[in-house]
Amino acid sequence: MSDIAAVATGWGLTFVVVATYALWVVGRGKTIGRELGIGKRQELGPGSDSSTPASS
Amino acid sequence: MSQIPDSKHMTATLGTRILGSVAVAAVLLMTLLGLVVSPEDLVQGHAVRMLYLHVPSIWIAYAAFVLTAASSVLFLIRSRSRADGGRHHDRLAGSAAEVGVLFAGITLVTGMLWGRVTWGTYWQWDARLTTTVLLFVTYLGYLALRRLPADPIVRGRRSAVMALISFVNVPIVHFSVDWWRTLHQKASLSVGRRPEITGEMYWTLLYSTLTVTVVASWLIVHRYRVIRLEELRDEEALNALIASRLREDDVGN
Amino acid sequence: MLHEVLLVARKDLRVEWRSKVTIGQVAPLALLVLVVFAFAFDANARLLGLGAGGLFWVAVLFGGTLLIQRAFDLETDDGNFDAFRMSTIGAPSLFLGKSLGVFIQVVLLELVLGPGVALLYDVRIDDWFLLLAAALAGTVAFSVCGVLWGVMAAGVRVRATLLPLLLIPVLAPVLLAGSRAFETAFGVRAEAGWTWASVMFVIAAVHTAIGVGTFGFLLEEG
Repeated sequence: MSDIAAVATGWGLTFVVVATYALWVVGRGKTIGRELGIGKRQELGPGSDSSTPASS
Repeated sequence: MSQIPDSKHMTATLGTRILGSVAVAAVLLMTLLGLVVSPEDLVQGHAVRMLYLHVPSIWIAYAAFVLTAASSVLFLIRSRSRADGGRHHDRLAGSAAEVGVLFAGITLVTGMLWGRVTWGTYWQWDARLTTTVLLFVTYLGYLALRRLPADPIVRGRRSAVMALISFVNVPIVHFSVDWWRTLHQKASLSVGRRPEITGEMYWTLLYSTLTVTVVASWLIVHRYRVIRLEELRDEEALNALIASRLREDDVGN
Repeated sequence: MLHEVLLVARKDLRVEWRSKVTIGQVAPLALLVLVVFAFAFDANARLLGLGAGGLFWVAVLFGGTLLIQRAFDLETDDGNFDAFRMSTIGAPSLFLGKSLGVFIQVVLLELVLGPGVALLYDVRIDDWFLLLAAALAGTVAFSVCGVLWGVMAAGVRVRATLLPLLLIPVLAPVLLAGSRAFETAFGVRAEAGWTWASVMFVIAAVHTAIGVGTFGFLLEEG
């Protein structure tokens, strides 16, 4: 393997892995946030009536 | 709850959006400096550019594992006294460990590619490579332990003890493997010693370390918030289940 | 304290004595591993002789993991941890007692494996004292680490796969040190076997201290 090919592989893989992880984290946050109905119910305090979740 | 903002940007706040933008800009500059501006090494040639990712990654991995260990100790101390069971520390430990594993993996891949070019082989059984691969697997195990379904506080305590042991074990692993065999370029960035990498290469390395730190901070903060959302979701699911059981009981009676 | 430790260890050993799983199943299985190693090395007597120290410890690790699994399945199946929590036996005593129980069972395993390695791999022992010291240190380190991780993986459905994943990286220095010390004791390596034996004593001491300090956290519920 030439040194340029190795550098390209290393940098390329790193960028792909970090970007994928970042997108996964943000996407997961959005999915769960939607499930929880954040936005529809601005106040999600610990005292709120959680027996009727907005998603069901 | 104030940490969880409106629906459009679930895990983002103004602070992290600024941090994210800085990170993206810094990465662009890092790419330019690392791949274009900085010169080739006389001995290593282009392969030296791998170190601009390799060295910062291992620094972040270690820093993240230190954060995990410190948070775990705080969690163990406070889990009995605080109302929320010190779960803030548990979340921080978990998010830091995950980012640490990510960068430990990057360290291994870039290190192996660098080794292929410089040593002519992907793998050498030298002290730091062996320690890093053991560290990587150890924290993969830690993440597996965290994923188990269990009471959050019980799981938190188990993970915290594991983080503590794993951390104490790092020097033990390192020294034992070091005595076993030593065959590695000396540390590239070290305080108090004249670095072997000099001039533009040294500054590029320093700058990329800073950049990767910013990127990792952004990742840890976001992962922390997502763990918090996951916990909220689990609590809601549990409450909904209890409520439906109670309703069934009412109907049954 | 000592009384409690012995009480816990005695209970485990009595259960083991009645079922005879260590001697009846785990030890023969570990012997089989020794035979399989010979297949892997094409029955090359020279290679097997050189690697005998390491192969011994790999077989101990394999068999010992099964023993630890069993030591905790016994507790969780009958909800014994709840009984321990209710009893006056302190967490440190419980930890040391469980470790002592595992230690004795692993020693039994090694008493079967040791002659097996010596006979099958044609090993001469140059330094008996080093061999015994290294075996003692390595076995103590293995037992205390095993009990710590055993209780962590106890009671979860995936414990059979989780325990080795957690245990092996932590035991890597013990495997390394044990193998090197045994090689010196077998006279195939001139290096300082005593240094490696002392490394294992340090590891054993560190993990015993951690276990005594943190076992209480691992037992508590919610």
